[in-house]
Amino acid sequence: MPSQASSSLLRYTGHEHFRNRIVLSILSGKPVRIDKIRSDDKDPGLRDYEASLLRLIEKVTNGTIIEISYTGTSILLKPGIISGGSITHDCPLSRSVGYFLEPLLSIAPFSKKPFNLTLRGITTDDKDLSVDLIRTVSLPHLQLFGVSDGLELKIKRRGSAPLGGGEVQFLCPIIKQAKTINFVSAGKIKRIRGIAHAVRVSPQFSNRMIEAARSVLNRYIPDIYLYSDVYRGDDSGKSPGFALSLLAESTTSAIHCSESVSSPGISPEDIALQAARSLLNEVSRGGCVDRKHQNLVLIMMVLGSEDVGRCRMGELSPRSIQLLRDIRDFFGTSFKIAPSDPATPDSSELLLSCYGTGYINANRTLA
Amino acid sequence: ALESFKQNTKRRRDLVKLIYASDLTPEQIAAGAELGDGGDAKGAHGDGDEDDFFRPKGAVKTSLAEEVLDQTKEDVAVDALAKWEDEALLDSIRHLFITGSGGGDED
Repeated sequence: MPSQASSSLLRYTGHEHFRNRIVLSILSGKPVRIDKIRSDDKDPGLRDYEASLLRLIEKVTNGTIIEISYTGTSILLKPGIISGGSITHDCPLSRSVGYFLEPLLSIAPFSKKPFNLTLRGITTDDKDLSVDLIRTVSLPHLQLFGVSDGLELKIKRRGSAPLGGGEVQFLCPIIKQAKTINFVSAGKIKRIRGIAHAVRVSPQFSNRMIEAARSVLNRYIPDIYLYSDVYRGDDSGKSPGFALSLLAESTTSAIHCSESVSSPGISPEDIALQAARSLLNEVSRGGCVDRKHQNLVLIMMVLGSEDVGRCRMGELSPRSIQLLRDIRDFFGTSFKIAPSDPATPDSSELLLSCYGTGYINANRTLA
Repeated sequence: ALESFKQNTKRRRDLVKLIYASDLTPEQIAAGAELGDGGDAKGAHGDGDEDDFFRPKGAVKTSLAEEVLDQTKEDVAVDALAKWEDEALLDSIRHLFITGSGGGDED
């Protein structure tokens, strides 16, 4: 839990929720100090991917001061301005590209220059959003807030764990201010889309995954299109692997997604069934935004214009709950949270609303 | 009846209060804890400012394997997904799809 020591410095302990706190610090301009990072661990301090993320943050900003203690168990970050521009970053193989791209999604629109970011490393793993999900699900979530023209993620090469070898290019336009959203109708699911890919294994694996996923999903709607994405030669990275990403889109453009990634000894059919059932699980949670994207939407809502933004969500994930607390520390904004349908006690859906801080992209005017 | 009542009160938890004015960990809140049931469980993962002194050494997590990673995808329990083999459950969410009955008035 934070305790405000000096005027604006925020203090946290522990390595949990590292990325959200860095993002909030950069956006709010408030310095943050994080202590006791794995101080009781037998291998104390920052992990290589966390250090790498800090280096990436240094690259996309100007004037950011990051001090890391001798043991690596505490850091102090004094944020500068978000500069953006053309940047290349090699991600360590301990985490996928998604780990690094996710926090930048909410930073990039408020940059001085539009982002043109090339990231190299593992493109799909089981911990963070894969590049497919970021392209097909995260970017549409960002579009809700008015970030649209020229927003793109190009998957140039795929790279599976453990050796990676993938490459993606992230292009993001800059905006003056995030739009206030009023997204309270979840609608009904009208189509299901999916991307199956298999690199350095039999290309038949994609088709087997698609067939198995269809066996579960075909009962609901006819509009199902599962795409088999083929990458060959150098474009398919250094390690074998396959995965299936699924998304369900509703009549109001609410998107829910799921994904399952290959692991040794599991057949493509099992991977596909896992992905399909996870999608049903996700859909049954309800709400207008995907559970994995609650964080992105919450951060963007706070940055909205000085008006009340509203959004219907399914049950909050633990990460989102901590994020709500952190948002209050950084921006002083509390969300109002109420059951979305007081009439039906069965529903676990929530209506979250907040008064936007009227965050203006001040970096842009400096140009 | 009591069971269902309990369910309802659980749903009616004051999340605003739980999130902004309690010491419960996010995991406890997400799992459905109420104000007041967190007393001794809190701080299991160390909030630094409380009962640091009395915590037995064993409670401090040291193993890499147990570390809670900062990850977006939640670990899926394969067992939990097995419930989706059940036909009745598969049919129970049909109303969420455009082809489902009962409320095709949305468009």
